[in-house]
Parts: sequence; C-alpha cells; structure tokens
Amino acid sequence: MAELIRRCSNFFLYDGSKVTGEGDPTREGICYFYPEETPIDKQELLCGQLAGVGRCVSELSSSPVRILRLRRNKYAIHMKDDFFWALGCSVEVPTVSVCELLDQLIKLFCFYNGSVRQSYQLNSRETLAARWARYLSHLQSGSSELHHIFSCLRTIDSTNVDPLLLLKAALILQACQRCPLVLAGCILFRGRVVSTQMSPELTMKVMVHESETYTKAQKPNGLSSTSSSSAAVCSTTVFLTMSELQYLQSPPVDKDLRSQSTPHKDGPLKKTRLSRTLSDMASTESDSSDPGPSQSPQKMSFSPCFPESDNSLFSPAPSQSAADPLHPPPQSPEPPFSNGKHSHEAEEEALEESYYQSFHSNGDGDSQIHNKGDDSAFEGNSHFNGGGREGDTACGTVFDFRGGESGNEESHDDKEVVGDSGRAQGQTAEVGDRPPCFGAFNNPEESPLLPMTLYLHRVKGLVMALLVEPHFLSDTASMEEVYHSSLASLNGLEAHLRTISPGAPGAPGPYIFAHFDCIQSTLTTNLSGRPGGAPEHPFVRATSLLHLHFCNTETLQEAIIRSAGAAVYGTRSVAQETYFQQHGGSLRNSGIPNHQDSAFSLPSKARHRLLKHGVNLL
Amino acid sequence: MKCLLIASESAEVLFHWTDPEFQQNIQAQYGASQEEGQGLPAFEDSISTLFAPIIISCSTMVDRLGDSYTSFTTENNHIYVLHQFDECLYIAVNGDGEEGEDDLRRKIYVMKKIIEVLFGMVTLSSNLLRRELRPQDTEQRARLWKHLQSLLETYSHLRENDQSFLVEAVERLIHPTLCEQCIEFLERRLVQQLNSSVERAREEVLHAFILVHTKLLAFYSSRNASTLATSDLLALIIMAQNMYPSNTDLDDPGSGHESFYTPEPSPTDRDSNKPERGSTPVFEFMDPDIQMAEDSLQTLEVPPPDPSTPRRVFLEISGKDGLYPMMPHSMYCLPLWPGITLVLLTKIPTNNVAASVYKYLEAFAKLEKRLSEGQEGSAATRGALTIHDIRSKLDKFIKALGPSDLQSAQLQNVWTEFKNRAFARGGTGFNKDLIPWCKNMKTQLCGIYRQCFLIDSGPGDIPQRLSPGLQERAQTMVQEKLMDWKDFLLVKSRRNITMVSYPDFPGLIHFICVDRSTGQMIAPSLNITERTTSELGKGPVAQFIKSKVWSLVSTTRRFLRKGYSTVTLRDGDFYFCYFLWFENETGYKLEAGDIPILPDDSAPIGMLAWDYYRKLLRYYSKNHQGEVVKCYELLTVHLGVIPTEIILQHCRQLASKLWEPSRNPLL
Repeated sequence: MAELIRRCSNFFLYDGSKVTGEGDPTREGICYFYPEETPIDKQELLCGQLAGVGRCVSELSSSPVRILRLRRNKYAIHMKDDFFWALGCSVEVPTVSVCELLDQLIKLFCFYNGSVRQSYQLNSRETLAARWARYLSHLQSGSSELHHIFSCLRTIDSTNVDPLLLLKAALILQACQRCPLVLAGCILFRGRVVSTQMSPELTMKVMVHESETYTKAQKPNGLSSTSSSSAAVCSTTVFLTMSELQYLQSPPVDKDLRSQSTPHKDGPLKKTRLSRTLSDMASTESDSSDPGPSQSPQKMSFSPCFPESDNSLFSPAPSQSAADPLHPPPQSPEPPFSNGKHSHEAEEEALEESYYQSFHSNGDGDSQIHNKGDDSAFEGNSHFNGGGREGDTACGTVFDFRGGESGNEESHDDKEVVGDSGRAQGQTAEVGDRPPCFGAFNNPEESPLLPMTLYLHRVKGLVMALLVEPHFLSDTASMEEVYHSSLASLNGLEAHLRTISPGAPGAPGPYIFAHFDCIQSTLTTNLSGRPGGAPEHPFVRATSLLHLHFCNTETLQEAIIRSAGAAVYGTRSVAQETYFQQHGGSLRNSGIPNHQDSAFSLPSKARHRLLKHGVNLL
Repeated sequence: MKCLLIASESAEVLFHWTDPEFQQNIQAQYGASQEEGQGLPAFEDSISTLFAPIIISCSTMVDRLGDSYTSFTTENNHIYVLHQFDECLYIAVNGDGEEGEDDLRRKIYVMKKIIEVLFGMVTLSSNLLRRELRPQDTEQRARLWKHLQSLLETYSHLRENDQSFLVEAVERLIHPTLCEQCIEFLERRLVQQLNSSVERAREEVLHAFILVHTKLLAFYSSRNASTLATSDLLALIIMAQNMYPSNTDLDDPGSGHESFYTPEPSPTDRDSNKPERGSTPVFEFMDPDIQMAEDSLQTLEVPPPDPSTPRRVFLEISGKDGLYPMMPHSMYCLPLWPGITLVLLTKIPTNNVAASVYKYLEAFAKLEKRLSEGQEGSAATRGALTIHDIRSKLDKFIKALGPSDLQSAQLQNVWTEFKNRAFARGGTGFNKDLIPWCKNMKTQLCGIYRQCFLIDSGPGDIPQRLSPGLQERAQTMVQEKLMDWKDFLLVKSRRNITMVSYPDFPGLIHFICVDRSTGQMIAPSLNITERTTSELGKGPVAQFIKSKVWSLVSTTRRFLRKGYSTVTLRDGDFYFCYFLWFENETGYKLEAGDIPILPDDSAPIGMLAWDYYRKLLRYYSKNHQGEVVKCYELLTVHLGVIPTEIILQHCRQLASKLWEPSRNPLL
C-alpha cells in the first residue's frame, strides 16, 4: 500500500463536454477521481485547474499537453476529444514511466470496456469507477521499482524452473491453437508469466483479468479449495485494436519480420518465434539434439492453427474475415488428434506432434530470416503454409457444413463449466447484446476496437488465458476440445510449478545487475525481492537515470556514472539494456581521471559476471 | 518558436520577448479567434490574453494548493517552463526543439540575473519592480523592453556559440607575456592615473579589464576592491557584447551576430548611432507624478544619449562583514576597436547608503520571517543584527537623508508608525500584526534605494561620472598600448588554443577544462564558422562535434544534479568523459565527497545566474575546515576506437598538467 501511495498520488478522468456553460459545476465533469476519498473541493480544484491550463497550452501550441509538472508532483496527461486524463506521481518517478503508466491504464480500460465514451453512456459512473480503481491498483501493485522503471512483465524466475516445464507450457498453448478459433494464449502462474504467445502489452492486459479472478477464487474458498472448484473456466469480452488483431492473426514468420525492424542481430530474433519460450529452447537445443528424422519436416511444418489468417491475409473474400463476428471464419473440421482417441492420449500425442512441428517451423523460420530479404521471407511464408495443401482444401470443404452446424448449437453446454463460469457466462451474454463492433466508429481517426473473447482456464494458481473468436463460446465442440486437450497438461504443469520453491532471490553475490529485454519486455535481476528495490537505492536511482538517458539518446551505447559511493555501468543494444554495479571493494577515489579506478573496470567485470546469468555482453 | 514572458500575479505583462516565428504564431491564432473583431489588437494585448489563463491558474494553485507549475510539455514537444520569483512569474517557451527544459530554466534565471544587475535591490520589492519593468509611458516601456530583449538575445547567441557561456566560466586569452604586460599597464598606468585625477568626480576605479570579443585579455582589480564575482563578470561581458557586438560577419557571412537581432523599426537611426545604441541610459525612470510633466517634453525628440554616461550596474561586494549583493557601481564601456573593449567599473561616492539600506532590509526581512513563523516578542528579535540594534542607526540614517524629498518623508512616516507599534508601550509589540509593517518598511527602503541609485539626478545637474575628457584619455592610452597588437589579438581570440598544440594526445578531439574556484576555463577553439579549415575540418563535421560538445555539457549537468561527478559515455563513434574533483591549494587531490542531489526544477548548474559551484565548494569544505578547497572540471571527447585506458591516461595528464604554472603562467 505504501508503494501504491508513493507511485501514484492522483488520477482522474475529466469530461469537459459535461462542463460547457458558465454555471455548470466542475464536479459534473469528474468521471473518476483517485483517491476517491479526496474532498470534492480539492477534486474540483485539481480537475478544473489542470484541465483549464491543459486546454490553454494545447491551444497555444496546437497540440495536446503530455506532461504537466508542479514542484511537488508531476502529471502525465492524455487529452482526447473532451476527455482529460491526468495521472499524478511524485517528482522522483521518471517522466517516461509516468506517461507509460497512464497509457497502460487507458489501454487497459479500453481492452476490457471498449471505447471510453460509450462505456460512460452504457454504465454508471460508479461501476466504471470500480474498474478504474481495479486497473490502477493492478498496475501499481506488487513488483519492484525496477519493474516500474522498465514497465516490464512479471515473469516466473526462469533460473529456478526446469526448462522442460517452460517448453511444456509453450506446447500446451500451441496445442490449443489447433482450434482455429483460438488466436493466441498465455500461461500464468501466481500472477507471473510462464509462457506467452502474445505481445508484452497484450499479455500485460490479459494478466489483469487473471489476477482479478485469482483473488476472487482465493477469497471464498480459502485454502480448502478442492481441485474441482479451483479448476474453472470463465470468459469475458475484451476489445482489441485493429493492429493487435492483425498481429495475432498474421502467420508467425511474418510476425517476426514485422516486429524486427533491424533483423541483423541474431540475439533478439530467436525470441519472438511462435512461442517465445519454446523457441528459446528449440533454438538453443537445435544445435545439439537430433531433429527426429522419422517425422516428415514438410508435413510437420504445416501449422493447422492459422488457416483463417491465411484467408484474411491472402484471400480477398470479405466474408471470411475473422474480424467480422457475423460471418464465422472457417474452422477446421475435427482437430486431427482427437479422431476417436481418448482425450488424454490425444493430448499426449498432440504435445509430441506440436513439439516437432514447432521445432521444424522454427528451423524454417530461422533459415528464412537468415535470407534477410523481404521477398524470400514472404516466399517462405507461403511455402510454410502451402506445405499442407490438402489440409487447406479440407478446411474449405468442411467450412460450409460446419457453419450450419454451429448455428444449430446455439445453446451452451455448461457441463464442463464450473466455478465462476456461471457468472462469466451471464456477463458474456450481456455483452453479446451490444452492437457487434462496439465503439468501432466513435473516433474515426483511431482504429476501431474489435470485440474478442478472453477465455480463462484455471488450475489453482495456474491459468491458461486464450484470446478466442467471440463465437468460440457458442461452439461447444471447440470449447470441449480445447478444454480436454489442455486439462491434463495444465494439471501436470501446475503440480510441477507448485513444488518449485519461490527460490532464494538468486545468490546476491558481490554485485547487482538488471537486464532488460526490450523485445520481450522482461527483466532479469538479482535485486528484486530484496528490500533494496526501493527508489532510494543507489543502483535503482542510477538505473532509472541511465535508462532515461538511453531512451533519449539513440546513439548511446555505454555509460559509467559514479558518485562518491557507487559506480554503475549501463550498456544497451537494440534488444536489451543491462546495468551493473559492483559491491564492496572500497570505491576510494578522488574523482580525478585514473585508469586504475575500479569504476572503469566495470564493463569487463559485467561481461564476465553476467555470463552465468545468461546475459551475454560480448 | 521561442518566447519569454514576465507577468505579474494579476496577469499584467511586465516584459516579453518573442522570436518572429512565435510572434507570427500568436498573431495567427489571435486573428483566427477574433475574426469578427475590429482588426488585430496590439501584439502585447494578444500575448497577455493568450497567457492569462495560465498565469491566473498559477496563482490559484499557489494560493489553494501551495504548489506551483514548473513545466508543461505538449505532444509536439513544445516546452513551457514556469518559475515564480516573488510576485513575478517567468514563462519561457520553446517550440522548435532547439532548447530543452534545462535551457529554458537557465534562460529564466539569466533574465532574472540581468534584471538584478540593472535594477539592484529594487528587485526585492515586487511592487516597485513591477513599475520599473512596465513604465506607464509606452515609449519609455518600448525602449526598456527593447534593451532587455537585446540583452537576452545577446545572451542566447553567446550560449549557443561561445564555449565560455556554455560552461559559464570566463575564458582568458592565452598569451602570457602580453597578458602580463597589459595587467601591469592597467595597474601602474591606467587605474593609477584615473584614480588620482580630479576629473573623476569622486568616483574610484575598482576594476579595469580588456575584452577581446568575449575573452579576457587582462583584468586588474585595485587593492581596496573586493573580488568581482564570476557571475557578475559574465553578466558584464554580456552587456559589453550587447553594446559593441563582435562583428562576426567578416569571417562568417550568414550566421553572424547581426542577423540574430530582430529588425528594429528605424534601421537608419540604428545604423547611424550604432556604437551608441547600447548606451541609451536605462535609468531614467521617474515617479509617475513627475513623469506627467516630463512626458510632454519627451514627445518631441529623444536627444541622442550621451555616450560618456556610464551604466549603473549592481554587483556583489564581499566586505569584511559579509556579502553585500547588488551594490551600485558605474560601468564605463570604452570601445578601442571593433571587437576590443576596455571596461572600467567604478565605485560611486554614495555607495555606503546602499550598504546601509541592505543591512536594514535584511533586518526587516529576518524579523518578518520569524514573525510569520509564529515567533513573538523577544524570540522574534533575537539574531545577529536585530531591530533593536538598527533602531538608532535607522533614525540617524533617515535624518541624514534629509526630510526635503517625498521619498524620505514617506520612509520617516512609516518608520515612526512602525516604532509606535513595535516599541511604544501602547503598541502591539512583536507579533503577527507587525508583518505588514515589516513589508511596508522594506518597500520604503527599496524606494529610497531606487531614488538614490536608479533615478538620474535632475535635468539641470551634471550627471555624476568620470569626465568625458578623462574617459577619452583612458581610451587613447590603452589604444596606444595595444596598437601593434590589435590584429593579432582579434585573430588570437578566434584561435585561442587549438588541438594542434596537443600532439601527445592521439585520438583526443576536444576538451574543456574549468577551474570552478576562479571561474575560468580553457578549451581549444571550435572554429565552426571560419572559412579556413581547422583541424576539425570544415562545416558539417565541426558543427557535429560542436553539437556533441553542447549536448555533453547538458548531459553531465543532469548527472551532476543527481550526485554523479564522473560520467563516461560511449556514443556513436565517440567516447566522452566528464570529471569533477577537488584539490587543495597545493594541488593535492582530495577524496571525492557526496554531492548534494537536487530536484529537476532546481536552479541551473552554472556560474552566471546562480553560482552552483560556490555552493558546492561551501558544502564540500565543511569536511575540510581550514583548507582552501578548489574545484575542477574536465570534459573530453575522444574517438571511440581509442582504448579506454589510453583515454583515461589522457584525461589524467590533462587534469594534472593543464593548470601547471609552467604551461600557463597566468592561470
């Protein structure tokens, strides 16, 4: 709580369109104000003054205000139409972080509620206030100051986890993707990412719902939760931007190339494959392990998960567009593995298959990328999917038949849905009544928000979250299939992860480091968890300053800064930032230039020391 | 897109400066929003209308939240920096990306410094300062604002182009023998002769220095003068540059200083009076009452200002009993040749009045502070110099002023009232009720100060100054002395030292070394605009290095503000180093100490507007009692391919050798 207070002192959303006349009281325009117990006078003062000054400055500069600083506080501002958002933090918080926090908050709101204007037309202020409060507390809770500086994802400590488990998690997700209605997913354990197929931003958004259902599930049942009540399926409507959806629907190779503006470095590339965790494993192991010659690579490289994206990208037929909920996209008839087999067996096989499949697709992807040219990559892409031409045809033929069938199966089969799902279903039904493209045409200049469904399957502390097409919920067969195909594996994964001790926070060692992966938005550090993660810690302070400087200076590669007590080394490449501080060894110095000074040996020490943490600075 | 605005709390514009782009932008906006109106209103009105909501919101925030705005940034990267000094709100705006938040804050502080140098302790009374900055007579206001605008432009030009104004330290010409001769000449011949002349009208030359462009050739202070603070010296160089701008057009067409000025309405007048332009007496403000009569006279033609009239400047003096800020001096700026100027600073005979006023002001300010903190009675009057101590002195002081004029009669009245309340038996004594009377006393004292030092003596009087003949003699003497050197000096000033003189440092591209204890710097010249090729090459390459150096300085200041005294950066193809360290008098390197961490919106790090390094030295010296502590800074730019060990070795050699007497006998 103390951290919460320190990080964000104020947040409000003010609707200028409600206060237009001379006599209109300012409070009419206050949609939400945090902290809620602030006296209304003060709320009105802040909203009125900041919004007023904001408008005046925007007019003078013909551009919305972004940052507004006071002596004791700084505000990130977002102005859109008549709405005015302000998020206030203490002046010590780096400005970039405050702005990022506000953007995340607004995006989170839109992700779960659609357009802001329409949300306020459809819901009471109180309802939405509770949501703002929830998102706000989620964004600030838990993680250390370093996490806030980089706005990174909270991941499980991979150094403590058997890599095979990460592989398993990735495979579960891939197995789910065999159902064409499943776009992408992630697996979380106790609020931390185990594996994700989504972009860091999307994963972060999904995690909010996860943590929410997690706390809800924990509270009523307490510790006595049985396996039946803690394993639950639920879903909610979420809204994706056009670009987010396009990214999810695009084939993986294409994704790579689009996310990598500079594909000349090998390091980052291997990390954004189909499933990052998996690809990490695969690409490191591919050098040593036998590729399994019994499988036909050609056949296996066909990924059955993306037929509809092929359609949306390569066929002009608009009715096939996945974004249009009125026209369900083509669906694969029966997932190949569930053909008359016992679900458990099928699942095992699926794991095996998809392991090889992704292994080979990985290899393919690599070779394509090494070719570098856009053309060849595109070619590779068509080759990639063209490998299973038969599959495509099958897909097409069954589509008509299947489309009629799914229409008949409107009624939900709730058999498998337990726990929270009752409420979730109700919510979904409610949402379903809304116009299909909720908020789509509110802001013509901005891409419309497209409704999708977030499907959650919980096994105690473990959650698998999948972004699915909205009619997935009405497609009993698909739901059952996804559920059954993953149930056993999720149980197994949960059991394994549970036994792993939270882990002594790394060996502290005679040094502190923080390694930020800009592509995956993950942070590795041996500082977190220890009380030293506070902003007054010299390392955190230096890191924050250097990070800001790296952000502002594109050409900067390395920096050493030294105060009387501490010297910190920072280095960055396109894909990562690393910070290093050496403990002990008296920093006795006079501040004069001296090549024997310990501060200047930091780069070589960092290179040497961090190797064992998997950080390669060479 | 640049603007600087000073406004009172009631949103009255006290001064504004805008570049043409900003002006056009404002006019376009104002025109658009007032289309049905009767034509474009005066620019001043538009600017005040557009900024009024911001200014009013500022005072609302201060009143009701006790917090104030420090900056705004828009999505298209326009930056607004705001700072309130007493009741004056300064707003600096940049919309072209050329200045950052730190630059704008520095500009605000420099503007305040310039106003202090020009108006002295009148700045301590917001009420009086408001009237000074915004004379009711529009012509007078236009003249004053034009003068302030041109000073601000001169400063901005120097900050962007002159390394000594980048790091805010004085640069000397490196020519030991000539410098030594000149100092001796100033001491033995010039100052002695001036101070023994009867024509000096009781003024006494305290400091004399010769400037070649912005660089110091020689500086001499008489024995009974206190040290001239670096901050003041830099401000005086800006003023001298403003009066006699260095003509950079000759070797640098297009980017010269002249093109930097916004065109003035009467170019013919300007051209013909060019040398005199800056010597327009600024200090001719009258009381509004007197002014009414004066206005009718002035409608005819403003007589060309007398070039021999000195400028009144207010500079810091360190006396035996402490620092006295803003003590009146006269500044004589005598052009020797274009680019070379002799500056004389004299003590005026009524100097001691200013010192007394300052002491009284300080005493009332202290009393007010204690009373507003809730202390009462004797607790409020305890301290170094209390109201009791000054009571009789102030009585005598007022008597000596003579009751004849209005101002001292007013002071007398308020003082009597104050005494009745504070000391008399039936009075309220020392409690909160006395606060308004403290304020009132301060205003009256500032009024006296204003009358004594800002207002010219009556029209019939001969102005107080060194006689024109004496000034002319001084000018001729120095001209004769430097006649053979003048061309050399002008060239030398552009190529003071060059990297060619450092062949032992392969890979070293540039460096700046600053002695913060004396406020002096050494750096190879960056001749980016010269036609001749320098060792940095011509045009773009040199310009690139220059921009790197400029951004390096601002970066290191940001780290220094957060307590980091060593910074190395590998940036593109370059490797930058920055070191700040302390030495004692014998050159022994002292251990690095903690450097205070300052908030982002604190005063800018430098020596011109606010002497950060003086504070830093005082802070550091706490642990080095009885030792003279010196502070140095070194910045280097190396090629990135040079191994770090070599780079650090270079830095070490530069740090230890640069100030060695054998290399540079004058430093």
